[in-house]
Order: sequence, then C-alpha cells, then structure tokens
Amino acid sequence: MKLSAPGHYVLTFDAGQKMASAVKPGQFLGVAMDTGGMQFLRRPFSFYSADPETGHASILFSVYGATTAQMARLAPGETLDILGPLGGRAFTPDTRPGAHQVMVGGGYGVPPLAFLARRLLTADPDSSVTLINGARTAEFLVGTEGLETLGIHLREATNDGSRGTQGLVTLILQEILEARAEHVPIHIYTCGPTPMMRAVAEMAMRYEVPCQVSMEVFMPCGVGICMGCAVERTDQTFARGCTDGPVFEAREVAWK
Amino acid sequence: MEITTVPELSVRIGSLTLRTPVTTGSGTFGFGSEVAEFVDLNKIGAVTVKATSREARAGNPPLRMVETPAGVLNAIGLQNGGIENYLAEKAPFLRRYSVPIIVNVPGENPEDFAYVVRRLTDSGAADAIELNISCPNVSHGLDFATDPRLTAEVVATCRRATHLPLIAKLSPNVADIRPIAKAAEEAGADGLSLINTVIGTSIDAKKRRFRLANITGGLSGPAIKPIALLHVYRAAQAVEIPIIGMGGIMTATDAVEFLLAGASAVAVGTASFVNPAVAIEISEGIAAYLKENGFATVGALVGAIEP
Ligand SMILES: Cc1cc2nc3c(=O)[nH]c(=O)nc-3n(C[C@H](O)[C@H](O)[C@H](O)COP(=O)(O)OP(=O)(O)OC[C@H]3O[C@@H](n4cnc5c(N)ncnc54)[C@H](O)[C@@H]3O)c2cc1C
Ligand SMILES: Cc1cc2nc3c(=O)[nH]c(=O)nc-3n(C[C@H](O)[C@H](O)[C@H](O)COP(=O)(O)O)c2cc1C
Ligand code: FES
Repeated sequence: MKLSAPGHYVLTFDAGQKMASAVKPGQFLGVAMDTGGMQFLRRPFSFYSADPETGHASILFSVYGATTAQMARLAPGETLDILGPLGGRAFTPDTRPGAHQVMVGGGYGVPPLAFLARRLLTADPDSSVTLINGARTAEFLVGTEGLETLGIHLREATNDGSRGTQGLVTLILQEILEARAEHVPIHIYTCGPTPMMRAVAEMAMRYEVPCQVSMEVFMPCGVGICMGCAVERTDQTFARGCTDGPVFEAREVAWK
Repeated sequence: MEITTVPELSVRIGSLTLRTPVTTGSGTFGFGSEVAEFVDLNKIGAVTVKATSREARAGNPPLRMVETPAGVLNAIGLQNGGIENYLAEKAPFLRRYSVPIIVNVPGENPEDFAYVVRRLTDSGAADAIELNISCPNVSHGLDFATDPRLTAEVVATCRRATHLPLIAKLSPNVADIRPIAKAAEEAGADGLSLINTVIGTSIDAKKRRFRLANITGGLSGPAIKPIALLHVYRAAQAVEIPIIGMGGIMTATDAVEFLLAGASAVAVGTASFVNPAVAIEISEGIAAYLKENGFATVGALVGAIEP
C-alpha cells in the first residue's frame, strides 16, 4: 500500500484473473473490514486499476470513517474481504472516430476516470483524452500518476490556486467546450462530489454534449437487493445507484 | 448420543415444505435474480421476495438508509413495480429454480391484500404468501399488526381468497405480541413471521437535521436481536402455528437462538447485504449444531429451552 497524499492511499490486492479481466472502469467493489463493531456494512470503492494478466487490482481511498481508517492500517499480505466486481452500468467509451474524451474528476472520483483513461489509451494510443482534476489544494490532487506519460492531457484546478487553474473544474471544462471544433465530437465522463458533478452535468447539457456521470450515493449492499441507494430520475422514478448505475447519462438524473 | 446420519433440516409451514429452515427476509434479497450469480438459490429454504403491492410504488426519496450502531435504519417505502410487474418480470426467473417462493404482500386495506393474494394464487407465482401487516414505513402511525382486530380482519379476508399457506408478518412495535399472534392464528394464518423492523430515527447533530428524508425508519440488524428473541418466545407460547423468527440473525448461532426461543424456521435480512450467500452458510451451521449436539431434526430444537 502506498500513501499518495495526506490521508490518501492506493491499495493493491490480488483480485484474481477472473475478476481483474471482468472489471470495467466505473465498476466498484464492496470492502468489509473488522471495525470492532463500529460498522458491519461493506463500503464501495471504485477500481483504480485492474490487470488481467497478473490478476492484481487497486483502489485509491481517503480516510473518512471506521472502514477506511481500518483499511489504512492493512499490512502487506493481509487478506481483504471484498465482493465484486459490482455495478450494473460502467462507463461506455464513445467510439465515434476522433472523439475527444473529456474526464472531469475530483477527490475519489478520479480513480475510475484514470482507469478509463488508461484503458482508452491502451486500446488506441491515438485516442484524444483530457483529464481535468480538481481539488481544494495541490496536495489533494490525486490519482493521475503516470497518466501524462501515456499521452493523456492533464489539466488541474485548485480552489486556492496552489496548482493549475485557480477555481473550479468547470472553468477548464467551459474553456474546452467553447473552443471545440465542429468536426470533433466531445464526450464527457465525470465522477466526484455531487455538487461538482451537477455543475459538470448542467454545463454538458447546456452545450448539448453527451455526459456520463458516476453517482456517489450510500450503497448498503451494492448488489441490488436493498433499494437503499436510490437515485432520482427525471421521470420521478428511483433507480438503484448500484445495479442500474453507478454510471448514468447526465440527462437521466433529477439534479437537486 | 451419537448421531451418524445427516440431521433432518426440512420444516413445514402449513402445506409448504422448506428444505432448510432458513429463508430470506423480505426486502433484503430483492427477487433473487439480483444475487443468483453469487448464491445457489436452490440451497435456500425459500426465497421471500420484496413486498409486492397491488399498484406500483415509487418508494421514498433519498436518503433511505443509514447505518447505526449494530444496525441499519431504512425507509425504503416499499418501492416495487406492483403485482402485474412481479408476475410478468420477476416470477418467471425464480420459477426456473426449485426453491419455494414466498411473496410478501403489503396493502392499505383488507381488499388490497386480498386482490394481490388472489392474483398470486391464480397465477401460481407463489408457494406461500406473507402478509406484511407491519411495515413501519408506509403506515400513518398505525400498522394493522398493532391491533388484534385489524390483524384478524386482514388475515380472514385473505384466508377466503387463497388455499396457499398464509403467513402473517407481525410488528415488534407493540407492548404485548401475544394477543396479535393469537388473533392471526384464529383468523386462519398458517404461520407467523416476526419481527419486522423496529421503528426509530437518526439525527445528524452537525447539520441539525434528520438523516432519513422520511424522518422515521425501521431498524434491523444485530441491534434488534434481543427484542426479536423475546417477541418470538412470547408468540410461541401463545400459538400452535409455526413461527419464522428473524431480527438480527448474522450467524448460525443467532439462528439457533431463535429456534430455541420457539421459532420453527428463521429468516436472514440485513446479513445478506454483507454476504448474499449467508442464508446457505447459516443452514450449514444449523446442521453442524444439530449434529454436534445430538439432535436428529431441526424440529427437536424448536423451543428446547429451559424456562
Ligand atoms: C460507487 C462508489 C465508489 C466509491 N469509490 C471510492 C473510491 O474509489 N475511493 C474512496 O475513497 N471512496 C470511494 N467511495 C466513497 C466511500 O465508499 C465512502 O466514503 C465510505 O463511506 C467510506 O467509509 P468509512 O467507513 O471510512 O466512512 P463512513 O463511516 O461511511 O463515513 C464517515 C463520515 O464521513 C462522511 N463521509 C463519507 N463519505 C463521504 C464523502 N464522500 N464526502 C464527505 N463526507 C463523507 C460520512 O457522512 C460520515 O459522517 C465510493 C462511493 C461509491 C458510492
Ligand atoms: C432495506 C430493508 C427492506 C425491507 N423491506 C421489507 C418489506 O418489503 N417487507 C417486509 O415485510 N419486511 C421488510 N423488511 C424487514 C425484514 O424483512 C426483516 O423483517 C427485518 O429486517 C429484521 O430482520 P434482520 O434484522 O435480519 O434484517 C425490510 C428490511 C430492510 C432492512
Ligand atoms: S446498494 Fe443495495 S440496492 Fe443498491
């Protein structure tokens, strides 16, 4: 395990070749930790990487509560109780020729986007991929290690201007959307705090650009049996964040 | 005593035979299809499916669930596609398995219940029916199962509508469960399920807000096991019909405690959220307990406790 920023860790584990080859970017797994009776439900974590050859996979997490605090104490060689891959709908890459794939992430929304970006570049080294990463301050810009060497165009935004553009990720997104060329289709993929995703989704809809969002809601079971992870759709019905998602089209979600 | 044969795990509820004494708590196992890739459904005693009402129900807005110390507080609001959707979309999948299906039926009045019960009976899409007269998330303060007279009215109306085994699911939110259990039995129930969730709420002191959009929710999980055990013990004293005990069962030992309290079978709810295959592991654990302790059948364990 590796500390990637204060309170942020990359946890690499043996998922087995079956899981590692099945998993798609946007999918997640449920981790159960012994928290000494504090919690017993699993917590969801997006896949950050998965290597079908070695069977190794990783997640990037930050310490919030009992489960992540316990995860941060894991030592090499310990067993991890996981259920996965979970998620009924992963990111669907835009296959239009020459499409500009624009990813907008913040915090632990970055890992699934980094995974998607790496997969796109591996499948087609000529893909045009931009990843906009946002955080409060420079030290919390995580999850993008090694992406630039693959050819991903990395853009960064911090609230305090300590790195990249000062301000929100939508400033950079707007710049890209304004400068777009008629013949280059754009597709947006976003994951991060809900207010950020909402702003990105609304901007994408304004510019009539397709946008996939990976919803972050509390997921008690992750497998579709509890109905506790409701995401409200624009038609006022409730979808399950876990098995109907976590990825939705921006226009499917009732943003409120 | 040395028992070399495999202990007999099957139990009966009315005319329904369960191959193992472990079923799933309604609303905690979807319609089985969701977890069929993780679990061999045929190894479960019966699959009790999510509540299926006369009309579709959208459910409550988020937040619907929070984790509390040793428990889960939920206010799903019986989200389901309604009986016609169940018959067309859900039942055919489960019918590919040999596992018995228990359908949980909620309703706002006795006629609502009876309508769904008739549809299930005519279509053959259920092997038994559990009457959810105790859901804390849709009632307006009063569940049928908090009143013996209302309990009897719903059960009797449904009794006239079906020959299938009828199980009345009772509420823990009562001072004394015995008169209600008795009323359900006298009105023609073949079995009782207890307990449904314990009513409660959760408050976020930092935001000074209720956590659940619905304010009230139903508590489940290990936190409610002592409450459930006492209700099961008391109900078992009051009635002859079999009881499916539930409330906080996470392990085979928990399940054995319910059998000792007088339940003939058990259901696991919240535990499936952590491990969808837990119902099977608990059946195996019960079998091991029977063997180790020299019981030839599950039935021999039921109520086998010193007062
Ligand atoms: C599909 C999905 C994928 C996810 N992927 C990742 C991932 O890759 N990496 C990662 O670190 N996390 C991820 N999360 C979030 C993670 O599951 C939660 O943060 C989880 O609750 C942490 O568990 P815990 O026991 O440590 O904290 P909890 O005890 O659950 O939470 C402790 C406190 O922190 C608060 N809290 C929890 N989550 C957040 C949050 N996101 N923002 C602000 N406050 C919060 C809670 O309200 C609570 O008060 C994902 C969530 C979903 C739904
Ligand atoms: C998320 C959730 C949904 C539930 N939905 C229903 C339901 O639709 N009908 C019902 O009779 N009981 C419902 N229950 C109650 C359970 O079936 C069970 O009675 C209760 O949770 C206690 O068991 P447990 O502690 O093992 O979960 C639900 C419980 C939970 C946690
Ligand atoms: S988390 Fe349980 S249904 Fe989605």
